Amino acid sequence: MSHIIIQVENLCLSYKRVQALKAVSFSVNAGEILAVIGQNGSGKTSAVECIEGLRKPDSGLIRVFGKDPWLHRSELYRKMGVQLQETEYPSKLRVEEQCRLYASFYERPADWNLLLTQLGLNAKRKSPIHSLSGGEKQRLSILLSLIGRPKLLILDELTTGLDPEVRQNMWNSFENIRESGIAILMVSHYLDEVEVLADKILYLEKGRQEFFGTQKEFREYVKSRIPKTQWKNNCEKDFSLEKLYLMIAPKTTQLTMEGIL
Amino acid sequence: MKKFMVICNMEFRLFARDFFGFFFALVFPLLMLFLFGGIFGNEPIYDGSGMGMMDMTVPAYSVMVIGVTGLMSLPLTIAGYHEKKIYKRFDATPVGKKSIISAQIFVNLVMTLVGTVILLTAGKLLYHIQIRGDFISISLSLLLSIASMFSLGFLLTAIGQDSKGTNILCYVVYFIMLFLSGATLPDRMFPETMKNISLYLPMTHAVDLMQGVFAGDSLGLHRQELLILGSLTLICTSVGAALYGKKDWTK
Repeated sequence: MSHIIIQVENLCLSYKRVQALKAVSFSVNAGEILAVIGQNGSGKTSAVECIEGLRKPDSGLIRVFGKDPWLHRSELYRKMGVQLQETEYPSKLRVEEQCRLYASFYERPADWNLLLTQLGLNAKRKSPIHSLSGGEKQRLSILLSLIGRPKLLILDELTTGLDPEVRQNMWNSFENIRESGIAILMVSHYLDEVEVLADKILYLEKGRQEFFGTQKEFREYVKSRIPKTQWKNNCEKDFSLEKLYLMIAPKTTQLTMEGIL
Repeated sequence: MKKFMVICNMEFRLFARDFFGFFFALVFPLLMLFLFGGIFGNEPIYDGSGMGMMDMTVPAYSVMVIGVTGLMSLPLTIAGYHEKKIYKRFDATPVGKKSIISAQIFVNLVMTLVGTVILLTAGKLLYHIQIRGDFISISLSLLLSIASMFSLGFLLTAIGQDSKGTNILCYVVYFIMLFLSGATLPDRMFPETMKNISLYLPMTHAVDLMQGVFAGDSLGLHRQELLILGSLTLICTSVGAALYGKKDWTK
Protein backbone atom coordinates (compact mmCIF):
# COMPACT_ATOMS: atom_id res chain seq x y z
CA MET A 1 0.00 0.00 0.00
CA SER A 2 1.33 3.45 -0.94
CA HIS A 3 2.30 5.84 1.78
CA ILE A 4 -0.24 8.68 2.01
CA ILE A 5 1.40 12.12 2.25
CA ILE A 6 -1.64 14.37 1.91
CA GLN A 7 -5.14 13.40 2.97
CA VAL A 8 -8.05 15.81 2.52
CA GLU A 9 -11.66 15.00 3.43
CA ASN A 10 -14.69 17.26 2.99
CA LEU A 11 -12.65 20.45 2.94
CA CYS A 12 -14.88 23.53 3.11
CA LEU A 13 -13.80 27.14 3.04
CA SER A 14 -15.66 30.40 2.61
CA TYR A 15 -14.70 34.04 2.30
CA LYS A 16 -17.48 36.00 3.97
CA ARG A 17 -20.52 34.88 1.93
CA VAL A 18 -18.64 33.24 -0.92
CA GLN A 19 -18.20 29.50 -0.60
CA ALA A 20 -14.71 28.97 -2.05
CA LEU A 21 -14.42 25.22 -1.42
CA LYS A 22 -17.30 22.76 -1.05
CA ALA A 23 -16.55 19.34 0.42
CA VAL A 24 -13.30 18.69 -1.46
CA SER A 25 -11.66 15.29 -0.81
CA PHE A 26 -8.51 13.79 -2.28
CA SER A 27 -5.17 12.29 -1.35
CA VAL A 28 -1.59 12.28 -2.61
CA ASN A 29 0.79 9.36 -2.15
CA ALA A 30 4.57 9.34 -1.97
CA GLY A 31 6.15 9.50 -5.43
CA GLU A 32 2.93 10.75 -6.99
CA ILE A 33 2.14 13.98 -8.82
CA LEU A 34 -1.34 15.41 -8.38
CA ALA A 35 -2.34 18.32 -10.61
CA VAL A 36 -5.12 20.65 -9.51
CA ILE A 37 -6.86 22.15 -12.51
CA GLY A 38 -9.80 24.46 -13.01
CA GLN A 39 -10.66 27.95 -14.15
CA ASN A 40 -9.57 31.14 -12.40
CA GLY A 41 -11.50 31.44 -9.15
CA SER A 42 -12.33 27.73 -9.00
CA GLY A 43 -10.63 27.39 -5.59
CA LYS A 44 -7.32 25.82 -6.59
CA THR A 45 -5.07 28.21 -4.66
CA SER A 46 -7.46 28.28 -1.69
CA ALA A 47 -7.28 24.48 -1.44
CA VAL A 48 -3.50 24.52 -1.73
CA GLU A 49 -3.16 27.26 0.90
CA CYS A 50 -5.23 25.20 3.34
CA ILE A 51 -2.86 22.27 2.79
CA GLU A 52 0.12 24.60 3.25
CA GLY A 53 -1.29 25.65 6.63
CA LEU A 54 -1.55 29.27 5.48
CA ARG A 55 -5.34 29.35 5.57
CA LYS A 56 -7.63 27.87 8.18
CA PRO A 57 -10.48 25.85 6.63
CA ASP A 58 -14.06 26.21 7.92
CA SER A 59 -14.45 22.46 8.24
CA GLY A 60 -13.08 19.17 6.99
CA LEU A 61 -9.99 17.16 7.67
CA ILE A 62 -6.52 17.86 6.33
CA ARG A 63 -3.53 15.74 7.21
CA VAL A 64 -0.04 16.27 5.82
CA PHE A 65 2.40 13.59 6.94
CA GLY A 66 -0.38 12.67 9.38
CA LYS A 67 -0.53 16.13 10.96
CA ASP A 68 -2.87 19.10 10.81
CA PRO A 69 -0.96 21.76 8.82
CA TRP A 70 -2.75 24.65 10.55
CA LEU A 71 -1.52 23.44 13.96
CA HIS A 72 1.90 22.06 12.98
CA ARG A 73 2.96 24.43 10.25
CA SER A 74 6.58 25.13 11.16
CA GLU A 75 7.21 21.46 11.94
CA LEU A 76 5.78 20.35 8.59
CA TYR A 77 7.85 22.86 6.65
CA ARG A 78 10.96 20.92 7.60
CA LYS A 79 9.89 18.36 5.00
CA MET A 80 7.66 20.43 2.77
CA GLY A 81 8.78 22.90 0.07
CA VAL A 82 6.42 25.36 -1.54
CA GLN A 83 6.35 27.73 -4.43
CA LEU A 84 3.59 30.25 -3.91
CA GLN A 85 1.51 31.61 -6.75
CA GLU A 86 2.37 35.22 -6.04
CA THR A 87 5.26 36.26 -3.91
CA GLU A 88 8.20 38.61 -3.95
CA TYR A 89 11.51 38.58 -2.17
CA PRO A 90 13.39 41.55 -0.68
CA SER A 91 14.37 43.26 -3.92
CA LYS A 92 17.76 44.55 -2.76
CA LEU A 93 18.97 41.16 -1.57
CA ARG A 94 21.27 39.32 -3.96
CA VAL A 95 20.33 35.90 -5.32
CA GLU A 96 23.06 34.07 -3.39
CA GLU A 97 22.16 35.93 -0.17
CA GLN A 98 18.56 34.83 -0.55
CA CYS A 99 19.70 31.22 -1.09
CA ARG A 100 22.01 31.36 1.94
CA LEU A 101 19.17 32.79 4.04
CA TYR A 102 16.74 30.02 3.06
CA ALA A 103 19.40 27.33 3.45
CA SER A 104 19.92 28.49 7.05
CA PHE A 105 16.31 27.50 7.87
CA TYR A 106 17.00 23.80 7.40
CA GLU A 107 19.21 21.34 9.23
CA ARG A 108 20.37 19.55 6.12
CA PRO A 109 19.84 21.91 3.18
CA ALA A 110 20.49 21.01 -0.44
CA ASP A 111 23.61 22.35 -2.14
CA TRP A 112 22.19 25.63 -3.41
CA ASN A 113 25.29 26.33 -5.49
CA LEU A 114 24.46 23.20 -7.46
CA LEU A 115 20.79 24.19 -7.69
CA LEU A 116 21.81 27.63 -9.02
CA THR A 117 23.75 25.90 -11.79
CA GLN A 118 21.00 23.36 -12.51
CA LEU A 119 18.38 26.09 -12.77
CA GLY A 120 20.57 28.32 -14.93
CA LEU A 121 20.94 31.05 -12.33
CA ASN A 122 24.65 30.79 -11.64
CA ALA A 123 25.50 33.89 -13.68
CA LYS A 124 22.93 35.83 -11.64
CA ARG A 125 24.13 34.82 -8.19
CA LYS A 126 25.53 38.29 -7.40
CA SER A 127 22.58 40.13 -8.95
CA PRO A 128 19.99 41.86 -6.79
CA ILE A 129 16.63 40.17 -7.04
CA HIS A 130 14.96 43.27 -8.52
CA SER A 131 17.17 42.94 -11.61
CA LEU A 132 15.95 39.41 -12.44
CA SER A 133 13.50 38.79 -15.28
CA GLY A 134 10.10 37.20 -14.54
CA GLY A 135 11.35 33.76 -15.62
CA GLU A 136 14.49 34.06 -13.49
CA LYS A 137 12.42 35.02 -10.46
CA GLN A 138 10.23 31.98 -11.11
CA ARG A 139 13.31 29.75 -11.25
CA LEU A 140 14.60 31.29 -8.01
CA SER A 141 11.22 30.56 -6.45
CA ILE A 142 11.48 26.91 -7.56
CA LEU A 143 15.05 26.74 -6.23
CA LEU A 144 13.93 27.99 -2.82
CA SER A 145 11.18 25.39 -2.71
CA LEU A 146 13.80 22.67 -3.20
CA ILE A 147 16.45 24.00 -0.83
CA GLY A 148 15.17 22.11 2.24
CA ARG A 149 15.28 18.67 0.49
CA PRO A 150 11.48 18.33 0.79
CA LYS A 151 9.52 15.09 0.84
CA LEU A 152 6.48 17.02 -0.39
CA LEU A 153 6.57 19.79 -2.97
CA ILE A 154 3.67 22.15 -3.52
CA LEU A 155 3.99 24.16 -6.70
CA ASP A 156 1.40 26.81 -7.51
CA GLU A 157 1.78 27.58 -11.22
CA LEU A 158 5.12 25.91 -11.70
CA THR A 159 6.15 27.11 -15.12
CA THR A 160 4.28 30.39 -15.50
CA GLY A 161 6.65 32.90 -17.09
CA LEU A 162 9.18 30.31 -18.24
CA ASP A 163 10.21 29.94 -21.88
CA PRO A 164 9.40 26.64 -23.68
CA GLU A 165 12.92 25.21 -23.40
CA VAL A 166 13.15 25.85 -19.67
CA ARG A 167 9.63 24.44 -19.22
CA GLN A 168 10.69 21.24 -20.94
CA ASN A 169 13.81 20.99 -18.74
CA MET A 170 11.71 21.67 -15.68
CA TRP A 171 9.33 18.83 -16.58
CA ASN A 172 12.27 16.42 -16.87
CA SER A 173 13.60 17.58 -13.51
CA PHE A 174 10.27 17.08 -11.78
CA GLU A 175 9.85 13.61 -13.27
CA ASN A 176 13.24 12.75 -11.74
CA ILE A 177 12.14 14.25 -8.43
CA ARG A 178 8.98 12.15 -8.45
CA GLU A 179 11.03 9.02 -9.09
CA SER A 180 12.99 9.70 -5.90
CA GLY A 181 9.73 9.22 -3.95
CA ILE A 182 8.81 12.86 -3.40
CA ALA A 183 5.12 13.71 -3.61
CA ILE A 184 4.20 16.73 -5.69
CA LEU A 185 1.02 18.76 -5.60
CA MET A 186 0.91 21.19 -8.48
CA VAL A 187 -1.55 23.81 -9.63
CA SER A 188 -1.39 24.55 -13.32
CA HIS A 189 -3.25 26.20 -16.16
CA TYR A 190 -0.96 24.51 -18.67
CA LEU A 191 -2.67 21.24 -19.52
CA ASP A 192 0.23 20.02 -21.69
CA GLU A 193 2.32 20.17 -18.54
CA VAL A 194 -0.34 18.35 -16.54
CA GLU A 195 -0.60 15.69 -19.24
CA VAL A 196 3.16 15.05 -19.13
CA LEU A 197 3.62 15.15 -15.37
CA ALA A 198 0.46 14.29 -13.45
CA ASP A 199 -0.43 10.84 -12.20
CA LYS A 200 -3.76 12.09 -10.91
CA ILE A 201 -5.96 15.10 -11.54
CA LEU A 202 -8.19 17.07 -9.22
CA TYR A 203 -10.62 19.18 -11.21
CA LEU A 204 -12.41 21.99 -9.39
CA GLU A 205 -15.28 24.05 -10.70
CA LYS A 206 -16.49 27.03 -8.64
CA GLY A 207 -15.13 25.43 -5.48
CA ARG A 208 -16.79 22.08 -6.18
CA GLN A 209 -14.78 18.95 -6.73
CA GLU A 210 -15.89 17.71 -10.15
CA PHE A 211 -13.30 15.01 -10.60
CA PHE A 212 -10.44 13.26 -8.80
CA GLY A 213 -8.62 10.35 -10.39
CA THR A 214 -6.09 9.26 -13.01
CA GLN A 215 -5.77 10.76 -16.48
CA LYS A 216 -7.39 7.65 -17.95
CA GLU A 217 -10.31 8.02 -15.57
CA PHE A 218 -10.56 11.70 -16.53
CA ARG A 219 -11.12 10.66 -20.13
CA GLU A 220 -13.99 8.41 -19.07
CA TYR A 221 -15.39 11.19 -16.93
CA VAL A 222 -15.40 13.61 -19.88
CA LYS A 223 -16.98 10.95 -22.06
CA SER A 224 -19.77 10.54 -19.54
CA ARG A 225 -20.44 14.27 -19.45
CA ILE A 226 -20.80 15.06 -23.15
CA PRO A 227 -23.17 13.78 -25.86
CA LYS A 228 -21.99 10.65 -27.68
CA THR A 229 -21.87 12.35 -31.09
CA GLN A 230 -19.71 15.14 -29.73
CA TRP A 231 -17.33 12.59 -28.28
CA LYS A 232 -17.17 10.65 -31.54
CA ASN A 233 -16.54 13.76 -33.66
CA ASN A 234 -14.01 15.40 -31.40
CA CYS A 235 -12.28 13.04 -29.05
CA GLU A 236 -12.22 9.53 -30.39
CA LYS A 237 -8.81 9.91 -32.05
CA ASP A 238 -7.32 13.08 -30.62
CA PHE A 239 -7.92 13.36 -26.97
CA SER A 240 -5.24 15.61 -25.54
CA LEU A 241 -5.97 16.62 -21.98
CA GLU A 242 -6.43 20.20 -23.07
CA LYS A 243 -9.05 19.19 -25.62
CA LEU A 244 -10.85 17.02 -23.10
CA TYR A 245 -10.84 19.81 -20.56
CA LEU A 246 -12.22 22.36 -23.00
CA MET A 247 -15.15 20.03 -23.73
CA ILE A 248 -16.38 20.27 -20.16
CA ALA A 249 -15.01 23.53 -18.78
CA PRO A 250 -17.73 26.14 -18.21
CA LYS A 251 -17.87 28.67 -21.01
CA THR A 252 -16.39 32.01 -20.07
CA THR A 253 -17.49 35.37 -21.41
CA GLN A 254 -16.54 35.63 -25.08
CA LEU A 255 -13.53 37.90 -25.33
CA THR A 256 -13.31 39.98 -28.45
CA MET A 257 -11.00 42.66 -29.80
CA GLU A 258 -13.41 43.66 -32.56
CA GLY A 259 -13.81 47.39 -33.00
CA ILE A 260 -10.80 48.20 -30.82
CA LEU A 261 -8.25 48.65 -33.59
CA MET B 1 19.68 31.37 17.47
CA LYS B 2 21.94 30.72 14.47
CA LYS B 3 18.94 31.04 12.15
CA PHE B 4 17.97 34.32 13.81
CA MET B 5 21.48 35.72 13.36
CA VAL B 6 21.46 34.85 9.66
CA ILE B 7 18.13 36.65 9.25
CA CYS B 8 19.51 39.65 11.17
CA ASN B 9 22.60 39.66 8.98
CA MET B 10 20.41 39.89 5.85
CA GLU B 11 18.24 42.59 7.41
CA PHE B 12 21.35 44.62 8.32
CA ARG B 13 22.46 44.41 4.70
CA LEU B 14 19.03 45.54 3.53
CA PHE B 15 19.05 48.43 6.02
CA ALA B 16 22.46 49.55 4.74
CA ARG B 17 21.25 49.34 1.13
CA ASP B 18 18.18 51.45 1.83
CA PHE B 19 19.33 55.01 1.22
CA PHE B 20 16.44 56.64 3.06
CA GLY B 21 16.78 54.71 6.31
CA PHE B 22 20.56 54.79 6.33
CA PHE B 23 20.81 58.51 5.51
CA PHE B 24 18.13 59.76 7.88
CA ALA B 25 19.09 57.49 10.78
CA LEU B 26 22.87 57.84 10.64
CA VAL B 27 23.84 60.82 8.45
CA PHE B 28 21.09 63.43 8.69
CA PRO B 29 21.26 63.89 12.50
CA LEU B 30 25.02 64.41 12.15
CA LEU B 31 24.49 67.02 9.45
CA MET B 32 22.01 68.78 11.75
CA LEU B 33 24.59 68.64 14.51
CA PHE B 34 27.21 70.23 12.26
CA LEU B 35 24.76 72.86 11.01
CA PHE B 36 23.42 73.99 14.38
CA GLY B 37 26.77 73.47 16.09
CA GLY B 38 28.38 75.66 13.42
CA ILE B 39 25.79 78.40 14.02
CA PHE B 40 25.45 78.33 17.82
CA GLY B 41 28.46 76.37 19.06
CA ASN B 42 28.08 75.06 22.59
CA GLU B 43 27.41 78.50 24.07
CA PRO B 44 25.31 78.61 27.28
CA ILE B 45 21.59 78.48 26.49
CA TYR B 46 21.18 81.65 28.55
CA ASP B 47 23.57 83.86 30.49
CA GLY B 48 24.86 82.05 33.54
CA SER B 49 23.50 78.64 32.51
CA GLY B 50 25.80 75.69 32.99
CA MET B 51 24.26 73.94 29.98
CA GLY B 52 25.36 74.75 26.45
CA MET B 53 23.26 74.78 23.29
CA MET B 54 24.73 71.49 22.04
CA ASP B 55 24.40 69.90 25.50
CA MET B 56 20.64 70.27 25.05
CA THR B 57 20.48 69.69 21.30
CA VAL B 58 22.37 66.38 21.03
CA PRO B 59 19.92 64.44 23.29
CA ALA B 60 17.07 65.89 21.20
CA TYR B 61 18.77 64.72 18.00
CA SER B 62 19.01 61.23 19.46
CA VAL B 63 15.18 61.27 19.55
CA MET B 64 15.30 62.28 15.89
CA VAL B 65 17.22 59.05 15.20
CA ILE B 66 14.60 57.08 17.16
CA GLY B 67 11.86 58.78 15.13
CA VAL B 68 13.47 57.80 11.82
CA THR B 69 13.85 54.13 12.72
CA GLY B 70 10.62 53.82 14.74
CA LEU B 71 8.26 55.84 12.59
CA MET B 72 9.76 55.47 9.13
CA SER B 73 12.24 52.65 8.62
CA LEU B 74 10.57 49.87 10.66
CA PRO B 75 6.92 50.54 9.76
CA LEU B 76 7.66 51.04 6.07
CA THR B 77 9.64 47.80 6.00
CA ILE B 78 6.81 45.91 7.73
CA ALA B 79 4.17 47.41 5.41
CA GLY B 80 6.27 46.63 2.32
CA TYR B 81 6.93 43.02 3.35
CA HIS B 82 3.25 42.51 4.12
CA GLU B 83 2.09 43.95 0.80
CA LYS B 84 4.64 42.01 -1.25
CA LYS B 85 3.66 38.80 0.59
CA ILE B 86 7.21 38.29 1.80
CA TYR B 87 5.89 37.45 5.28
CA LYS B 88 3.54 34.91 3.71
CA ARG B 89 6.54 33.28 2.02
CA PHE B 90 8.35 33.17 5.37
CA ASP B 91 5.30 31.49 6.87
CA ALA B 92 5.87 28.76 4.30
CA THR B 93 9.27 27.93 5.87
CA PRO B 94 10.18 26.40 9.24
CA VAL B 95 10.98 29.83 10.73
CA GLY B 96 7.71 31.72 10.10
CA LYS B 97 7.09 35.45 9.94
CA LYS B 98 7.60 36.06 13.67
CA SER B 99 11.32 35.44 13.29
CA ILE B 100 11.71 37.95 10.51
CA ILE B 101 9.62 40.61 12.27
CA SER B 102 11.72 40.09 15.43
CA ALA B 103 14.89 40.44 13.34
CA GLN B 104 13.58 43.65 11.78
CA ILE B 105 12.83 45.11 15.22
CA PHE B 106 16.27 44.02 16.45
CA VAL B 107 18.09 45.54 13.46
CA ASN B 108 16.27 48.85 13.81
CA LEU B 109 16.99 48.87 17.54
CA VAL B 110 20.69 48.30 16.92
CA MET B 111 20.81 50.96 14.19
CA THR B 112 19.10 53.42 16.55
CA LEU B 113 21.73 52.75 19.19
CA VAL B 114 24.52 53.03 16.60
CA GLY B 115 23.06 56.34 15.35
CA THR B 116 22.85 57.66 18.92
CA VAL B 117 26.42 56.62 19.75
CA ILE B 118 27.75 58.27 16.55
CA LEU B 119 25.85 61.43 17.45
CA LEU B 120 27.13 61.50 21.03
CA THR B 121 30.70 60.78 19.93
CA ALA B 122 30.60 63.59 17.37
CA GLY B 123 29.05 65.95 19.95
CA LYS B 124 31.71 65.04 22.49
CA LEU B 125 34.62 65.39 20.07
CA LEU B 126 33.49 68.53 18.26
CA TYR B 127 31.55 70.48 20.87
CA HIS B 128 32.66 68.86 24.14
CA ILE B 129 29.08 68.25 25.20
CA GLN B 130 28.46 67.41 28.84
CA ILE B 131 26.70 64.21 29.80
CA ARG B 132 25.81 64.72 33.44
CA GLY B 133 23.31 61.89 33.79
CA ASP B 134 24.16 58.39 34.92
CA PHE B 135 24.41 55.50 32.49
CA ILE B 136 21.40 53.60 33.83
CA SER B 137 18.99 56.55 33.72
CA ILE B 138 20.12 57.47 30.21
CA SER B 139 19.88 53.85 29.00
CA LEU B 140 16.42 53.32 30.49
CA SER B 141 15.14 56.60 29.06
CA LEU B 142 16.60 55.79 25.67
CA LEU B 143 15.05 52.30 25.65
CA LEU B 144 11.66 53.60 26.74
CA SER B 145 11.74 56.29 24.06
CA ILE B 146 12.64 53.64 21.49
CA ALA B 147 9.86 51.32 22.72
CA SER B 148 7.26 54.10 22.51
CA MET B 149 8.22 55.23 18.99
CA PHE B 150 8.54 51.66 17.69
CA SER B 151 5.14 50.73 19.11
CA LEU B 152 3.59 53.85 17.59
CA GLY B 153 5.13 52.89 14.24
CA PHE B 154 3.77 49.36 14.67
CA LEU B 155 0.29 50.76 15.29
CA LEU B 156 0.52 52.88 12.14
CA THR B 157 1.31 49.78 10.05
CA ALA B 158 -1.68 48.02 11.63
CA ILE B 159 -3.97 50.95 10.78
CA GLY B 160 -2.68 51.40 7.21
CA GLN B 161 -4.62 49.28 4.71
CA ASP B 162 -1.65 49.03 2.33
CA SER B 163 1.92 50.27 2.11
CA LYS B 164 0.82 53.51 0.40
CA GLY B 165 -1.59 54.29 3.25
CA THR B 166 1.03 53.40 5.85
CA ASN B 167 3.58 55.61 4.04
CA ILE B 168 1.24 58.60 4.22
CA LEU B 169 0.43 58.01 7.89
CA CYS B 170 4.09 57.60 8.83
CA TYR B 171 5.25 60.66 6.88
CA VAL B 172 2.53 62.87 8.41
CA VAL B 173 3.10 61.66 11.99
CA TYR B 174 6.89 61.71 11.68
CA PHE B 175 7.28 65.17 10.16
CA ILE B 176 4.72 66.82 12.45
CA MET B 177 6.52 65.40 15.48
CA LEU B 178 9.98 66.07 14.07
CA PHE B 179 9.39 69.81 13.75
CA LEU B 180 7.00 70.41 16.66
CA SER B 181 8.51 68.23 19.38
CA GLY B 182 11.81 70.04 19.82
CA ALA B 183 13.73 67.17 18.24
CA THR B 184 15.01 69.41 15.43
CA LEU B 185 14.39 73.00 16.53
CA PRO B 186 14.62 73.87 20.23
CA ASP B 187 11.09 74.33 21.61
CA ARG B 188 12.21 77.50 23.34
CA MET B 189 12.01 79.12 19.88
CA PHE B 190 8.32 78.15 19.51
CA PRO B 191 5.43 80.60 20.02
CA GLU B 192 3.01 79.73 22.87
CA THR B 193 0.41 78.05 20.60
CA MET B 194 2.98 75.71 19.09
CA LYS B 195 4.31 74.92 22.54
CA ASN B 196 0.81 73.91 23.61
CA ILE B 197 0.34 71.73 20.53
CA SER B 198 3.70 70.07 21.08
CA LEU B 199 2.57 68.89 24.53
CA TYR B 200 0.17 66.49 22.78
CA LEU B 201 2.95 64.87 20.75
CA PRO B 202 4.61 61.77 22.24
CA MET B 203 7.97 62.71 20.78
CA THR B 204 7.97 65.95 22.83
CA HIS B 205 7.96 63.89 26.00
CA ALA B 206 10.78 61.69 24.70
CA VAL B 207 12.81 64.84 23.93
CA ASP B 208 12.11 66.31 27.39
CA LEU B 209 13.03 63.03 29.07
CA MET B 210 16.29 62.62 27.14
CA GLN B 211 17.31 66.25 27.67
CA GLY B 212 16.50 65.92 31.36
CA VAL B 213 18.46 62.74 32.04
CA PHE B 214 21.42 63.92 29.97
CA ALA B 215 21.47 67.09 32.10
CA GLY B 216 21.66 64.96 35.25
CA ASP B 217 18.01 64.85 36.33
CA SER B 218 16.93 61.75 38.21
CA LEU B 219 14.21 59.61 36.61
CA GLY B 220 11.91 60.59 39.48
CA LEU B 221 11.84 64.16 38.16
CA HIS B 222 10.38 62.88 34.89
CA ARG B 223 7.55 60.71 36.17
CA GLN B 224 5.09 62.38 33.80
CA GLU B 225 7.20 61.66 30.71
CA LEU B 226 7.84 58.10 31.87
CA LEU B 227 4.13 57.55 32.42
CA ILE B 228 3.15 59.01 29.03
CA LEU B 229 5.78 57.04 27.09
CA GLY B 230 5.09 53.83 29.04
CA SER B 231 1.32 54.11 28.49
CA LEU B 232 1.84 54.90 24.81
CA THR B 233 3.97 51.76 24.43
CA LEU B 234 1.35 49.56 26.09
CA ILE B 235 -1.62 51.03 24.24
CA CYS B 236 -0.02 51.10 20.79
CA THR B 237 1.36 47.57 21.14
CA SER B 238 -1.90 46.05 22.33
CA VAL B 239 -4.13 47.92 19.85
CA GLY B 240 -1.67 47.21 17.03
CA ALA B 241 -1.54 43.50 17.95
CA ALA B 242 -5.36 43.35 18.06
CA LEU B 243 -5.62 44.98 14.62
CA TYR B 244 -2.94 42.67 13.23
CA GLY B 245 -4.89 39.70 14.57
CA LYS B 246 -7.69 40.66 12.16
CA LYS B 247 -5.42 41.10 9.14
CA ASP B 248 -5.36 38.49 6.43
CA TRP B 249 -1.68 37.58 5.95
CA THR B 250 -2.42 35.52 2.87
CA LYS B 251 -3.65 38.47 0.79
